[in-house]
Amino acid sequence: MMLTGQITSAILGIGLTAAILFLVRRDHLHGPYAVWWFAVAAATFALGVFPTLVVWLGRVTGIVYAPVLPIIVGLSLILIRMLKLDIDRSKQERQIRRLTQKLAILEQELDRLGGRPERDPRSDIDEA
Amino acid sequence: MAEPSLPLLAADCLAVIPARDEAATVGSVVVGVRAALGCQVLVVDDASTDATRAQACAAGAAALTLPLGLGAWGATQAGIRYAKRNGFAGVITLDADGQHLPESLPALFDAQRHSGAHLVIGTCVGRLSLAKRIAWRYLRLLTGLRLTDFTSGLRLYDRRAVDILAGPEASLLDYQDVGVLMLLAKQGLSIEETPVPMLPRRQGHSRVFASWWVVARYLLHTTVLCLAQLDAGRRHGHVSTGDAA
Repeated sequence: MMLTGQITSAILGIGLTAAILFLVRRDHLHGPYAVWWFAVAAATFALGVFPTLVVWLGRVTGIVYAPVLPIIVGLSLILIRMLKLDIDRSKQERQIRRLTQKLAILEQELDRLGGRPERDPRSDIDEA
Repeated sequence: MAEPSLPLLAADCLAVIPARDEAATVGSVVVGVRAALGCQVLVVDDASTDATRAQACAAGAAALTLPLGLGAWGATQAGIRYAKRNGFAGVITLDADGQHLPESLPALFDAQRHSGAHLVIGTCVGRLSLAKRIAWRYLRLLTGLRLTDFTSGLRLYDRRAVDILAGPEASLLDYQDVGVLMLLAKQGLSIEETPVPMLPRRQGHSRVFASWWVVARYLLHTTVLCLAQLDAGRRHGHVSTGDAA
């Protein structure tokens, strides 16, 4: 019974670790994201392969029912991660909006100064 | 509190008209504004799918075309950034759907001259629906800004207001109303209202007051926005309402 649980968690841990490593290596996860997910992969691998770590951690932190510990920690980390994600998204949204405005302003200047024949700028976007 | 604004001359200002799919009306609005103020007109085409841009250019306006739809405020801000970059003394904004009468625009400059306000809002008090009346009462309470109409798109911004609103701080706002007003009030700028006649919308519909569901969502967004800077309006409680009762 114990062995089955351990095998299951080991498979999950190794699988997730492999998937994350694959994504990082393929450059689908960038910079700080890669570091974060790398740490997650390492933790999942360690806890999956050595479930006794959880029992030890439970004793150290004083949580009586040790198996709930990874769930608490995991949920907290997910919340922090999501918060950071939305902060980053807001920043990017601001940048996208300002770039869009700047693009339109510079395009108008280009038309005005370069004497380019008047045409619908949207046709350029499709080509890009 | 900031220095009172110097009187603005219409000829030194830029008229900014944000427009999304307003080809039917934008041409006549541009012609009307040019006749009433004699200033340059900029139509900001908010990723329209119709001939808005062509109609605006044909009527003698300059046009910016946003490749992505940014909404009414995003389009207006593009115009404000254009005005700042090109050294205009002020920006007057109005809607492209023809609800703002070009003949009423000089009244905003008169109000600005008399009050020295950094922002003059043209409001049509009689037009307010029940939903708006309730919403405005709530927003007055929440923001401490003594205004009768928060969303009117008919506005005259002076150079200081343009400088502030061109900045990145104003880029994440979704509507031109409370967030913009709070930003200006926080910097100590004065806001004035002046009553103007308005026509009912001929085309399109209000983006904010489309339905009760949208109103509720809008008020929720605005409430959260206000909670973040609750004291801005009250700290500068000098926002005055002109002769609009």
